[in-house]
Amino acid sequence: MDLTTFSASQLVDQLQSGEISAKACTRFFLDQIESSNQKLNAFTTVSQSAIESAEKIDARRAAGESIGALAGLPVAIKDVACTKGLRTTAGSKMLETFVPPYDATIVEKIIAADGVVIGKTNMDEFAMGSSNENSYYGPCLNPWSDEHVPGGSSGGSAACVAGNLAPISIGSDTGGSIRQPASFCGITGLKPTYGRVSRFGLIAFASSLDQLGPMTKTAEDAALMMNVISGHDGRDSTSAKQDVPDFQDALDKPLTGLKIGVCKEHFDEGLDAEVESTVREAISTLEGMGAVISEVQFPHTSSAVATYYVVAPCEASSNLARFDGVRYTTRAAADDLEQMYAKTRAECFGEEVKRRVMLGTYALSSGYYDAYYLKASKVRRMIKQDYDNAFEQVDLIIGPTTPSLAFKMGEHTQNQLAMYLADIYTVSANLAGIPAISIPCGISKSGLPIGLQLQARSFDEATLLNAAHQFQQQTDWHTRRPQS
Amino acid sequence: MSDSIDRATVEQVAKLARIHLPESQLDESSKQLGAILEYVSQLDQVTLPDDVEPFFGAIESVNAIRTDEQHPSVPRDEILSNAPDSDGEFYKVPPVFK
Repeated sequence: MDLTTFSASQLVDQLQSGEISAKACTRFFLDQIESSNQKLNAFTTVSQSAIESAEKIDARRAAGESIGALAGLPVAIKDVACTKGLRTTAGSKMLETFVPPYDATIVEKIIAADGVVIGKTNMDEFAMGSSNENSYYGPCLNPWSDEHVPGGSSGGSAACVAGNLAPISIGSDTGGSIRQPASFCGITGLKPTYGRVSRFGLIAFASSLDQLGPMTKTAEDAALMMNVISGHDGRDSTSAKQDVPDFQDALDKPLTGLKIGVCKEHFDEGLDAEVESTVREAISTLEGMGAVISEVQFPHTSSAVATYYVVAPCEASSNLARFDGVRYTTRAAADDLEQMYAKTRAECFGEEVKRRVMLGTYALSSGYYDAYYLKASKVRRMIKQDYDNAFEQVDLIIGPTTPSLAFKMGEHTQNQLAMYLADIYTVSANLAGIPAISIPCGISKSGLPIGLQLQARSFDEATLLNAAHQFQQQTDWHTRRPQS
Repeated sequence: MSDSIDRATVEQVAKLARIHLPESQLDESSKQLGAILEYVSQLDQVTLPDDVEPFFGAIESVNAIRTDEQHPSVPRDEILSNAPDSDGEFYKVPPVFK
């Protein structure tokens, strides 16, 4: 049976009704990986115990035991979340042989819900990048075009779903790393509210911005996964003690009267004309479904990327101090401890990671703190206030996910700022901590997907998923797949 | 904010960051970091209200406190098995002083 046409939710139905076994489903996707991963490079490590895990679920089902919400569904995990006994590299040479002795909370929850971890997906090193070209394990391709990047940093998690190597995956998003690759690969990607999903076991990049979330074929699939992974965790002191609604229950509400604000500044100079017209058409579709569209203003959004490139490197320079040649993988030969640190970090970090660690070190160093980190944190407050003001008028904010289509391999590798600006519409949600989703809303004349971004109030993922699902009931962009 | 960063500063920053930077890369690093610093210097142009409080994180909650109970830890040998060098009980490192 060809399982590539099913969404994850449909596969769960098949698994629950016994139409297909967890083992057969897992075998199908392992075969897909076997035949396509050499070209796509979406996975850094494939699990050798996935079949065994699936067999155990089948045996429990046969014995009449109750099975969890994922019912034996294969799940791909970005290589930045720790998986017990399964190599976790964060896309870095620094962790080339790191085998975590514990599972991240998100992985623990997926396994507890009877998901089958099939492998770890390729990514920009330590989640720093927007193209997946910063991976020590080589770039991942966009399944829609060999010449174009899949986006990043969760490039592998996007490519494996778009290319049918996995029915669903987990990504992480610090400045757009779930939504931008979801947009470039024509899939659905949700960055939950900061604190909604535990970060325990996530290899930290920028701790006040990082958030894990689902990357899926449909909004319905994202709701399925959010029901599994959300909730407070005592092991992550920043995880929120907030009630978790049933996200699947909220999908079917009509959009009549839903107030959606168009972020005026996200249609300014720099936006690709084809992306603009496609996104405007999607906004008309939502209006036709009963949503009330108005314009909202974000006077500080033009400072968001600059704010991000102070805050994120500062936090990274501190978080990445733990990679010192003492605890993980390997170390450079040196006569004394300090030289060993410096040489190991020089040899095992890639260029972008070194750049950001140095940038953060500089911005936090004596005499510069007020000018950079403190100033940026004050601008961050203004960005958050822009959202607070907007959400007094509207329920959702809408616009393009990215200013351009997927760009070409190598196009921005010599120009870091151009690469950074790929995240211009996505970073603000991380700075403010609010949830945001990217869903496919069209395909360019050149055959590349176009993404629509919706943003909501903190902890209101239900409204995001509801609007995304309703849009997907009216359109079929989410069902389009690249020609393989 | 200053938007340029000279060779000596780059050298000092690399030292603080514990990243060995060969002499030959100082110019290139100074150019790259300078370009990013120039870009972020646009924050100087943002007018802020006098009383604006910095926003350091999306959750502005009180301290998270848990009960002080013992829990089993990950076995030491599993943790040390990831290290480049250990004696089975502690991490081993090169001499701190030569």
